[in-house]
Amino acid sequence: MAVSVNTRGDPGGPAPDPFVRRHRINGDVVFRLVAAAAATLTIGLIALMVFDSVQAAWPAFQRFGLNFVTGIRWSPSFTIYGALPFIYGTLLTSAIALLLAVPIAVLIALLVSEFLPPRIGRPVAIVVDMLAAVPSVVWGLWGLLVLVPFIRPIEHGIADGPGRLIPFLGAPTPGPSYFVAGVVVAVMIIPIVAALTREVFATTPRLQREAVLALGGTRWDVIRRVVLPIGRTGLLAAILLGLGRAIGETIAVTMVIGNAPRIGGSIFSPGFTLASVIANEFNEATEPLHAESLVGLGVVLLVIAIAVNGAGVAVRRRFERSAGRGR
Amino acid sequence: MAAEFGALLRPTSNARRLKSNLVVALAVVATAMALIPLVSVAFYLITQGAGVLNLNFLLQDPPGDLSAAGGGIRNAITGTLEMTALATVIAAPLGILIAVFDTEVGGRVAVGTRFLIDVLAALPSIVIGIFVYSLVVVAQGHFSGFAGSVALAAIMLPVIVVSTEEMLRLIPRSINEGARALGLSRWRTYASVFIPTALSGIFTGLLLAVSRAIGETAPLLFTALGNNFFSTDMNEPMQGLPLLIYRNALNSAFPAARDRAMGAALMLVLIVLAFNLLGRWLVARRKQGRSAAR
Repeated sequence: MAVSVNTRGDPGGPAPDPFVRRHRINGDVVFRLVAAAAATLTIGLIALMVFDSVQAAWPAFQRFGLNFVTGIRWSPSFTIYGALPFIYGTLLTSAIALLLAVPIAVLIALLVSEFLPPRIGRPVAIVVDMLAAVPSVVWGLWGLLVLVPFIRPIEHGIADGPGRLIPFLGAPTPGPSYFVAGVVVAVMIIPIVAALTREVFATTPRLQREAVLALGGTRWDVIRRVVLPIGRTGLLAAILLGLGRAIGETIAVTMVIGNAPRIGGSIFSPGFTLASVIANEFNEATEPLHAESLVGLGVVLLVIAIAVNGAGVAVRRRFERSAGRGR
Repeated sequence: MAAEFGALLRPTSNARRLKSNLVVALAVVATAMALIPLVSVAFYLITQGAGVLNLNFLLQDPPGDLSAAGGGIRNAITGTLEMTALATVIAAPLGILIAVFDTEVGGRVAVGTRFLIDVLAALPSIVIGIFVYSLVVVAQGHFSGFAGSVALAAIMLPVIVVSTEEMLRLIPRSINEGARALGLSRWRTYASVFIPTALSGIFTGLLLAVSRAIGETAPLLFTALGNNFFSTDMNEPMQGLPLLIYRNALNSAFPAARDRAMGAALMLVLIVLAFNLLGRWLVARRKQGRSAAR
């Protein structure tokens, strides 16, 4: 708590200006009240919204119980609602996105912070950041009209060739798929993971870098022996925060995933994620249980997103503390 | 550790130097790969969208039928600007006040607020859409531009809080001590010392929040809903550029819808870019100003 220093009220000091003083006391009380009210109002609203949504989804949870999460069938016409195909879709597209984005993002961060002089590195970083400035719906449009036609023959080539023997790579391959969605999400999280990783690498103590160089190490030796080991926790945090974004990505995914409410056997199958099924069906859900189940999907998504992001923030705090101590 | 580093004492071999250069090459290739989508999207928007984007396209409303040719995106531009403006008016004062509350009051309560702001930042935008639907749309009984603004405000709020807090924390302690020594009350200190000092930083955070909110589609789906007609009434369903792009893109089998989506997407990217670059330029200018002052 901040202590307010009331010098003007000291007896024996210069005569206090009553006008200023009166306003100071009232002003500070009002000031604190207004700030506290803003915080309380916001927190209250967030709590109310979470409560409202859980309440709105309650009939679906009550009706299906644990089957709501483990059920593999989602069929509005039979009023059966199981979320597993969408949980599967969300995890699969996020996994594909991470597998593609993390190596690229880490290499970008290395290039910008380790290999290039700042004069060239900074503009490169800004251009990579521009990937994040493009709105989700525009990435979706690009995915739909450019990426799908480009990837479709590749998908067919793999699925009809080696994919026959390897699980998860076989047919059917109409074009839009978990894989395309994963690629689009990868493009969208690369700038986020790259920026966070760059920050991590920038905290590497200079002395230890120079020690390796003085011993005749190459720049790769510096990275392998110093930058990566010291930044390990920070890197994990960057990956978790990127995963958090991937899980919640909605519109771009909805446009390229093919919208099929089942568990596709291949990464080239069309599917659905939690977020995209909500986006696609919520406005058309006239039957109450359908709408309640969709809100229920939102609650499931909320829980996963908060868990992943919470873990990311916690790991990052730990890294920041350890980095602060190292210096 | 010593044994590990022992290998380094040998003179740098060609093989190790080669390995190091290989990693550099790999990093260059990876960066180039990441930029392919950016170049591709820019090329595609410009070649396909620039032909569509003209004054008539900006000043006419779309036809009632997506597949019909002609018309423009006027209602979507005004809708996006109106909803984003109202969202800013809601989120900016709240966000700045919350940041002030956290830095000034501190303690356990502030940790709690900070945690909830982190939660809000972590929420997928579609979930925010559902929240605002159940809170505002259900209460109002209909979709509205106002509900869309509330959803966008929820997206902007954490960005504003975090950037404002960062700026307030950067204020040198000596300024705070100076204000206290002058006997300034706390609210005076914030109103006439801290906020003006941090203003350009706060404004930059605000611009970045706006550029993020302008491009959001998911929170508008169940709140503003979209509207084929021109409307400035916040109590009615309202069109937005992202919504228009989304709906036309889903019907991109029709050449007219596809063209409309491309033109609108180019327009949206230009608007977002303008806010984004303005924010970055302010950051760069502030940094320059600071180093010049030293």
